[in-house]
Order: sequence, then structure tokens, then C-alpha cells
Amino acid sequence: MNSSPELDWQRSVFYPATVLVEEAAADYPLTRSILSRLKNTQVVTVKRPAGDDFSSLSRLYSPRTTLFLALHRGRFLKACPGTAESYRCCLYQILHLGLGCNIGCSYCVLQGYLNNPFITQFVNLDDAFAELDEELAKPGVFYRIGTGEFTDSLFMDPLTNLAPRLIDYFGGCKNAILELKTKSVAISSLLDYPGEIGETVVSWSLNAPAVTAREEGLAASIEERLQAAARCRERGFRIGLHFDPLLYFPGWEEGYRQTVAEIFKYLKGSDIIWISIGAFRFMPQVKEVLRENHCQSNITAGEFIRGLDGKQRYFSAIRRRLYRFLVDEIKSYAPEVFIYFCMEDQYLWQDTFGYAPADNIELGHWLDKCCYRYAGS
Amino acid sequence: MNLVKPGRCRLTEIDFADRSFPFSFGEIPPKLQASIKHVGILQPPLLLESEAGYIIVCGRQRLEAFRRSSPPTQELDILAAAGACRKELFLRALWENLAQREFNPVEIADIHAAAGELFSREELLSEIQPALKIPKKERFYRRYQALAGFSKDLRKLVAAGVIDPESVDLLREWHEPEYQALIELIRETGLRRNKLREVIGRLDDLARRDGVSPCLPLAAAVTAAKDDEGRIVIAELRHQLKVKLYPHLTAAQSDFAEKLAKLSLPPALILDPPPDFEGGEYRLSFSFSDSRKFQLCCRALNEVAPEDIDELISRT
Repeated sequence: MNSSPELDWQRSVFYPATVLVEEAAADYPLTRSILSRLKNTQVVTVKRPAGDDFSSLSRLYSPRTTLFLALHRGRFLKACPGTAESYRCCLYQILHLGLGCNIGCSYCVLQGYLNNPFITQFVNLDDAFAELDEELAKPGVFYRIGTGEFTDSLFMDPLTNLAPRLIDYFGGCKNAILELKTKSVAISSLLDYPGEIGETVVSWSLNAPAVTAREEGLAASIEERLQAAARCRERGFRIGLHFDPLLYFPGWEEGYRQTVAEIFKYLKGSDIIWISIGAFRFMPQVKEVLRENHCQSNITAGEFIRGLDGKQRYFSAIRRRLYRFLVDEIKSYAPEVFIYFCMEDQYLWQDTFGYAPADNIELGHWLDKCCYRYAGS
Repeated sequence: MNLVKPGRCRLTEIDFADRSFPFSFGEIPPKLQASIKHVGILQPPLLLESEAGYIIVCGRQRLEAFRRSSPPTQELDILAAAGACRKELFLRALWENLAQREFNPVEIADIHAAAGELFSREELLSEIQPALKIPKKERFYRRYQALAGFSKDLRKLVAAGVIDPESVDLLREWHEPEYQALIELIRETGLRRNKLREVIGRLDDLARRDGVSPCLPLAAAVTAAKDDEGRIVIAELRHQLKVKLYPHLTAAQSDFAEKLAKLSLPPALILDPPPDFEGGEYRLSFSFSDSRKFQLCCRALNEVAPEDIDELISRT
């Protein structure tokens, strides 16, 4: 394994210039704790925004530098939206504790989905844990739960210190595994975690170095992410990796080859609980938004066709080439590692792996088994 | 609006060049011209007093018609607004004109741009855009602000409906030589609306993908799409652009067509691949009008070797 100069694991990607605090959220412990960590930050109390209020507020406060502390009034635990039945999804659950991040990836589809433009942290954690208590009490169900779908799980952990609380909670769960998904290296709270790690997976989203440099804004470099992964593995965390979105660009083979080689400089195959792969896809209406927000990026100008779920996807022959190449590369280092596709059809599964999950339930079971295997290790 | 009062002024006192309130467009209707010639202006126009003279708020066409049929020193009845809030006058003129007719996209863009001089961005989004039936989104704000600044030739094409407003979203990032090449293409081919939008979209994608001006893929496609007499064949132009933008898809389509032809199926049998080859479901359909034709189809199907079907649907 590589030894490199120590990174600043406390390095937060995000220090807001302004914090908007929803009136009803002002007295929550997480609000107080976040505000106590911020110096020279403008704090503004606002009524619960409704309708056009967000667009009015965004004209007063820049969404890129503003943190919104709010109460979440809906369900915290939600099924991953996945996609239509034509594509296999893994029945993942999302613990919805925040929205958005400031990393600024050009391909982020959240740009086209969220009405709330602000990086948002929900502060009513007790409500979230109460809901989890109730949900996880259901017998005979295993849950894979992540916090990194609508936000980055760790990008402002030095401000929220949320990761240790989640690890505490899930450490006591027999039927659930927590996945923290990130592109940052803000892992100090994980490294300093005093107790047993339990069943927590820390995952990094990876891409080709050229994509990272061009399309992933403030994200840590691939090498930094993998250094952080290695440190987390040393500390006892399971490591997940996600190649999503794969992009097709001149030089993609060399780019992804480099990243795979880099992975195995820092990790062994047995350190990795799973690797997911998904080629770039987006709803047609998001194209305009992505172009507007990232006018230098050309990622939406590829050979996209309309998928069976209505999303724009690379033509299947391109996806097949991307998948086969990446899977072969990974397997050449670690034949035993479990690789799966995110939102892909059974034909591409079959063409790449020689097998395909019969349905979403089977894919979900395969991933659950990875968790059992690890729990037993 | 209580600062508006009836008054009289001479035509020479009206600043016809000022279009701060840009609500009249196009030619004066002949019936209006005839009416004003015979009986004058019955409904007084609303004018704003300024140091340089009166600015037309409402009634430009009536005044233009009156000017054509009257000497410059002619006096007329007006409603004069002295020191009134320009924003209020603008809204009044806007609503009065909206009640009379639909505006085309270029007229909307000019109104939008003029409103931009008076109203904040937020007011434009929340008040003016809904009045103009434009969604309250930034995207539309940018579309109409850009359209107002387009060249005269391009504005004409948008106003005439040749270029649709959605294409404006792409065109606003193009440059003058690229506009000229597009206008030339439209002139030569008569391309319009949906097909034109497809062409613009593909040119824009190719330009972005390859980091070049849209002129380059356009010139290449035009050269390849000319017939023996040098005319551009629209279907070929679209095909050329499709091949450039979707090389793998078009190759797969050609390959499928070639393999299908080898099966020599009767014309009544139609075998379609999945749309864009996405998913694995192929579709076979056939038509018949009597039992003999039905039998023919069945026989033809029976004669197809399984390995030929395997090859036809193979995914490589």
C-alpha cells in the first residue's frame, strides 16, 4: 500500500458565508452546534419558505455560499427513486438529512430537480432517529441505507459532526448497514471515532482523473479520495466505490485504467465491499440546466438516446464498451470484488457479466449478502 | 395614475423615435388608416411628458396613422401624464395592449427588454413574465433578453415562426458568422420550425462535443447533402448530421437493415428493433387480407434460420 503525505482530514469543502435559519429550527441542538463552529458568518432567521420564497431568497443570498438550517417535515427514510422497471435497481434506502452540496459537479442531476437552491441541513435529528427506530423494528427486513444521494455525506461533516452520531446509531442495528458516500476527504470524525465501527460503509465516488479535474468542481482528487479510503479502511470501515457517472470522452480508456490502477495502490480487493457502475444519464429537461450552469462542459453533447425510462442515456453499444472495459480492468486486479450496475438493463448485465439479476429484489439480495459476508469477516 | 389629464399637443411635440413603451409593431392596418383619415383620433393616446417632448405610452399606431394624414403642426387631443411613475404607465400600456392581441416572440422580447430598463429582475420574473404568459423561470428571462438583442434578420425569422423560441436558447450562444450561415441555410432550403430545431440542436451538440464553431459541421453536412444540381437535400442534410452525432447508433441501424435484407422477408412482414436498440425486445408484425397471405407470412417465418435471427439481434 502507498504511503503519502498526510492530508488534512478536517478539510471541509464548505464554510458558508451566510446561514439561513428557519425560525422553527433555531433552538435545535444541531443548529446551535453548527453556528457555534462558524465564525464571521452572517446568520439570518427566516420564516419557513414556501412557493416562490426560495427564488426570492436566492436573489438575496448566493446558494453556493449559503447554508440553510431547516426542519424536515416529511419522511426521512425513503426508497431510492431508482428508475423504471426496465432497468435494475438495488432497492436502496435514503436517509434524507440534507440537500445539495457546493462541490459543483457539472453532471449533478440534482440541479434540475430541487426547488430549494440552498445547501440544506435538516436539524431535527431526533425525529429522524425516531422514524428509523420505528422502521428498523420491522422483522425480517434488511436495510442498506445511505445519506449521500441528495447531498454529499461528509462534505461538511466538520461543521455538523453528524457522521459519528450516525455510526453510533447504526452500530446498534442488526438489520441495517449505513453507507456514507462522498467526494471529499473530511474524514477526521471517522478516524477519531472512539467506539466500535459496526456496519458502516464509507464510499467514494470515483471517475477518470480528467473528468475529476474538468467536471467535479471542488471535489478532492482521485488520489486524495483513495488515501482517505485507505485511512478509513485502516480504522475498520468497509469501503465502497462508485463509478457513477461513467463518461464517454476521448481518452476514456486510459483515464479509467489510471483510476482503477490507483484504487489498488491504496486498497486490496478484500477491503472493498462493492463497486457500482453507472453510465451518465439524465432527464431530458435537465440538459438545459446543466448547460446553463456549466457552459464550458460538453458532457451532454454525446451520443444520447432516450432510454426506456425517458432518461437520456448513452447508446447501448457505448455503455457496453464502457462497462466491459471497466469491469475487466477491476477484475484484473481483484477478481473477487462484487461489481454491480446502477440502473442498467438485464441485457447489459448479461453481456458484461454473463448473468443478470432476475429482478430488483434479487439484485437487492446480492448486495445484502455482501453486507452479511462483511459482517461475518 | 391621477397625474393623467386630458390635454392637447401638436404632432411636432411628440417624440416618435422614443420606444420606451414598445407596444406597437408592424404595419398600420389599412382600416385604421382610413378611419383616422376621415374622422381623426376618437380615443386620445396616452403620452408621457418629458423634456424632449411627449413619449408615446399607448396609441402609437393611431398617432402614426394620424401623422400620415395630417400636417406636422396639427393639434390633437391627448391624455398627458406629467411626472407619473414610468413603471405604472408601462404596466397600464402592457395590459391595454395585451387585451387587444397576441404578441409574437420578438415583440414579447422587446417588451421584456424594455421592462428590464424599468423593473428589477425579480419584478420581471414575478410580474412581467406571467403577464406575457412566460413561465417565471430564469431560463425564459435569458431567452427573451437574448432574443431582443438578435440581429434584424434573425428576429424576422423568429417573428415569422421559422425559428421557434426553444431554438433561441441554443442560438443565443452562437456568433454572427454562425447566424449568417444558418440564415443562408434557411434561405436555400426553406427549413423551418421542428426540422430546423433538430438541425440547430444537432449542430449545437456537435460544436460543443468537438469544441468547434457550428459552422464547421454545418459546412461539412451541406457539402455532403448536395444533389447533382448543387441543391441541398434536407433529408440528406439531417442524415449527415445524425451520422456525425450518433455514429454508433447509425452504424447499428445500417447493420440491422443489411442483415434484415438478407432474410428476404416478404413486405407484409415487419421486423423492428427496439427503439434506438434500447432494451432487448424486437417486434414482429405482419398484415394479411386473406388466408393465403397469412399462410405466406407463416411459411416465410418458418424458413428463417434461427442462427440468422441470432445474428440479427446479436449485441456486440
